[in-house]
Amino acid sequence: MLARPLKYARPASVAEATALLRSHPGARPLAGGQSIVNVLKLRAAEVDALIDISRLEELRTIAATPDGGLELGAGVRYVELASAPLVRERLPIVADVADGLVDVQVRNRGTLGGNICLNDPTSNFPPLLVALGATIRIAGAGAERRSVPAGDFFVGPYRCALEPGELVHSVVLAPLGGDEGVGYQTLQLARDSWALARAAVWLRRDGDAIADARVVLGCLGPRPARQGAIEAALLGGGGGEASVSAAVAAPLEGIDAVGDSHASPEYRVEMARVYAKRAIHQALAQTEAPA
Amino acid sequence: MSVQDAAAPTKAASTIGTPVRRVEDKRLLQGQGTFSDDVWMKRMGYVHFVRSPHAHARIGDIDVARAEAMEGVYATLTGAEVEAMTEPFMQIAPEPGSRMEDYALAVGKVRFVGEPVVAVLAETRALARDAAEAVEVEYELLEAVVDSLATLSPTAPVLHETIGKNIGYQDTYAWGDIDWALEHADHVVSIDKLHFHRFSSTPLECNAAVVNWDRGTDVIEVRSNNQMPQFAAMFISPAIGMPTSKLHFVSQDIGGAFGLKITSYPTIAACMLLSRKAGRPVKWTEYRSEAVTASAHGNERTFTDIKVPVMADGTILGFDVKAYDDAGAFMRYEPLGGVIWSQVAPGCYRLKHLRVEYTQVLTNKCPCGPNRGYSRLQHLWMIERIVDIVAHELGFDPVELRKKNYPQADEYPYETPNGCFYDSGDLPRMLDLGLELADYDGWRTRQAELKESGGGKRIGIGIGSTLDSGTNNFGQARLVNEHLPFSGNGEAAHVKLDLYGEIAVNLGSSPQGQGHETTAAQTVGEILGVAPTDIHVKAGYDTASHAYVGFSGTYASQFAVTGLGAAIGAAEKLRDEIRLVAATALGATPDEIELADGVAGVRGDEERAIPFIGIANLVYTNVAALPPEVADAVSLNCRYVYRPPFEIPDIETKTGELTLTYAAQIHVAVVEIDEETGHTEILKYVAIDECGRRINPQIVEGQVHGAAAHGIGAALHESFVYDEESGQLLSGNFYDYHAATAVDVPLLLTGEIECPSPRSPNGAKGMGEGGGAPLSTLCAAFQDALGAGGAVVTDTHNPSERVWRLLRERSDAPRPVEVVSR
Repeated sequence: MLARPLKYARPASVAEATALLRSHPGARPLAGGQSIVNVLKLRAAEVDALIDISRLEELRTIAATPDGGLELGAGVRYVELASAPLVRERLPIVADVADGLVDVQVRNRGTLGGNICLNDPTSNFPPLLVALGATIRIAGAGAERRSVPAGDFFVGPYRCALEPGELVHSVVLAPLGGDEGVGYQTLQLARDSWALARAAVWLRRDGDAIADARVVLGCLGPRPARQGAIEAALLGGGGGEASVSAAVAAPLEGIDAVGDSHASPEYRVEMARVYAKRAIHQALAQTEAPA
Repeated sequence: MSVQDAAAPTKAASTIGTPVRRVEDKRLLQGQGTFSDDVWMKRMGYVHFVRSPHAHARIGDIDVARAEAMEGVYATLTGAEVEAMTEPFMQIAPEPGSRMEDYALAVGKVRFVGEPVVAVLAETRALARDAAEAVEVEYELLEAVVDSLATLSPTAPVLHETIGKNIGYQDTYAWGDIDWALEHADHVVSIDKLHFHRFSSTPLECNAAVVNWDRGTDVIEVRSNNQMPQFAAMFISPAIGMPTSKLHFVSQDIGGAFGLKITSYPTIAACMLLSRKAGRPVKWTEYRSEAVTASAHGNERTFTDIKVPVMADGTILGFDVKAYDDAGAFMRYEPLGGVIWSQVAPGCYRLKHLRVEYTQVLTNKCPCGPNRGYSRLQHLWMIERIVDIVAHELGFDPVELRKKNYPQADEYPYETPNGCFYDSGDLPRMLDLGLELADYDGWRTRQAELKESGGGKRIGIGIGSTLDSGTNNFGQARLVNEHLPFSGNGEAAHVKLDLYGEIAVNLGSSPQGQGHETTAAQTVGEILGVAPTDIHVKAGYDTASHAYVGFSGTYASQFAVTGLGAAIGAAEKLRDEIRLVAATALGATPDEIELADGVAGVRGDEERAIPFIGIANLVYTNVAALPPEVADAVSLNCRYVYRPPFEIPDIETKTGELTLTYAAQIHVAVVEIDEETGHTEILKYVAIDECGRRINPQIVEGQVHGAAAHGIGAALHESFVYDEESGQLLSGNFYDYHAATAVDVPLLLTGEIECPSPRSPNGAKGMGEGGGAPLSTLCAAFQDALGAGGAVVTDTHNPSERVWRLLRERSDAPRPVEVVSR
């Protein structure tokens, strides 16, 4: 094997999976394997055992919630999110993001739960889920479940709020009202490559004015970064070109931009502002025009 | 020699110039090809290399005991053993590069990240990898240098103590009188610095070999994807002390090479030593990350102090430049690149006065291989930047300036200042065709409208003119090292009429997807009057059964000339033998015999004919029926070595015919730039190609697409970036080295003109490397978008951030360009 020798288990239920994770501290769950398998091939991490959760039907459902929202199983693959009529109908942005993710091979295998648990700073879903105000349902021992707001779930780079022995069970999303809009904009190195800047925006309009907003930046720090100052600058405004441009010039919060072979920190920060602006306009365009 | 020889009439419809289906494709598309990794030998072990994690370090103790103790590990091999068993590989360079010591494994020091240090052979591939992890190597870290200019500083760490400085080769090439031109020109345009970045190719198949040192025969069998096996043999033989006659190289299918698989010989030599030590065949299959990090990269080149004399009417007289080519840690194929650029010394232009002070530097980076467009593309890009910058700085129309300075159609063969002959061509007509296909005027209108309306987008239109010089005169090696006993070029082929009248062909080339089986069948079929589908061209390369010469292999845009030239010669010999036998059997004279549809018959008399099986019978199994003088004169086994008509270049003046043919590319691109982000969309991309007579237009088209995609990827996405401090490669895998895929490449509009070469045996020109045209084209498009008086495009690699910075360059910033007019 390319990887170092390790144990493998395929539990039959979520409860069995969490029990195995609890009893094997060096074990990691295997869902789509789009990140962990690469890490194992490079022998870049110490993993004693893989707990294969990819076939647990309980994690693979896409369900309508009574309030008109969605509950998306952690094991749902990107290709399924992209093509599910229910997702298209209720939260098309989620389908669009899944549809544009990397390449077809990754979309066929990669899962929503894997994406958010990895919490790579360039991951697609963390900023979107924070912007959408999602709730992460977590499976603990037995039938135990707890919920964490997306804003608290993403702890640091490659770290999330899961405790040892826990798995993400599902992601719960509230419905979008007619006066609400979502924007999601990314600058990529190439069509199917790294993101250099990413912004996700949710906002609600009340008449002429923006009444509520969540502006979240990806790629710029340890976790998806809510931009309180930009949000505050937007509130009460009409969302015109000049006011949005002024808002995204506000001081950025919670970011720690680092350079790499693709872009400097300065460029990343500037692009974050540009893409925040574009995402805000995208979101505004979806809200009902004021009467 | 010509396929249209009037003395050889054939009835079968000619397939030359038609898109005959590639015979190779059936097996390749159905997964039935045989690549090196498909080869299996009894008792074979798998090798894994322990590689250097450091860019520059002294090797201390190496402990292989733990690895060797593992069950199933057959043997290990260290640099110290290699040093004791072998001589350093020969160097092409004269002093000081000749003093470099390059071995199959690192000896004493490591000089780049990924350099092989220890080889481990084991029962399985996984075990070899596990055992390699158990090898302990002590390193004493040394300062690394990765910058091509900083490495020349007296305080820079020295890579090779035997050389004493980080220079592998240095010489000045001058033709005409550049000092006079600079003194008398109406304008002198100076450019501080141009930088051609480091990138590579991405063959689908990484390097691989199965190597067996047979104890019984003392023959070493190498089933590898090395693309220039006789070059490899010439390096390996003296190093390991084995005659080349005992090095048996074989390849069938190769999954792309692009020049990078020429320099796999050190690793193949390591496999040979390991095979001898273990008494087993050794299989080496490179992992992708190894291929990206440590096989071979394309050359980076920095041009400084560029001075360009220009007359008031736009005539560009030449250039003066210092070029710093960065070879990485070892020379390997270098410094041949130190002269190969001079095959296209004036580029696509009538430049008369040229001076290049060429220095090849050494840095703690992966060694280079002759990557597609090798050495010419860096030089051609520099010239295209010069022409483009001159147009912008002096206010010339970029189309008209190019047309004015191109050789005109009636000037071919066009002699360059260094004695090369551009054999045929018509660059102005190609440019017109490209502009028409691109709807140049329409885009100029759109560009002006957009400038008027604003909206955050701007359009740039760029032109790139490049050459693909093919069929080297190896005599140019003497211009870098006068003691090298190389000159001319050649290739061998063998064409045979087999026992039941079949036609069998073998070649000296080692194709990697270029369709040699198909074009050789077309060529031989044309001469023998047989459909290409009825000709068996043996796949691949084999020194035990194929004809070959020292130049054999597939590299440097030459098969259509050298390989097919050899096939033509061998087929014509066979044709003449068949006619002699047929004439004897039919009571006619040989010149009355014509060959068609597998039958040799007397012209105009359908009753008097003999099928090829009858000819084979008379020569192979019924030979007493032939008159002895005829039987003695024929073998039906016809070998021919094609030799281009080269002379040895003049070492003193550095002049001579360095290549036989010059294919040309004119590309036109329209880009749309997002002003807020620098992000580029290619709205239109046109590639016009001229490669003489097209033997198989579909194969040509495929190579035009590949070369264009490669260049577009390099211009926008692909770059090897090293950390200045640690010397680590920051883009060492496909996450960070973004090789272009279909989704990154725009729709390519292609067009062609045909200017048959008067120099080649069939009018064809070698092609496929493509001259790096997209690099020039996209830079020109960015420059066009920036406009006159603004920022200057000085780098081949322009990802979004670089374009964004160019757009934001302050008008009072120091400019890298200066114009002095008198």
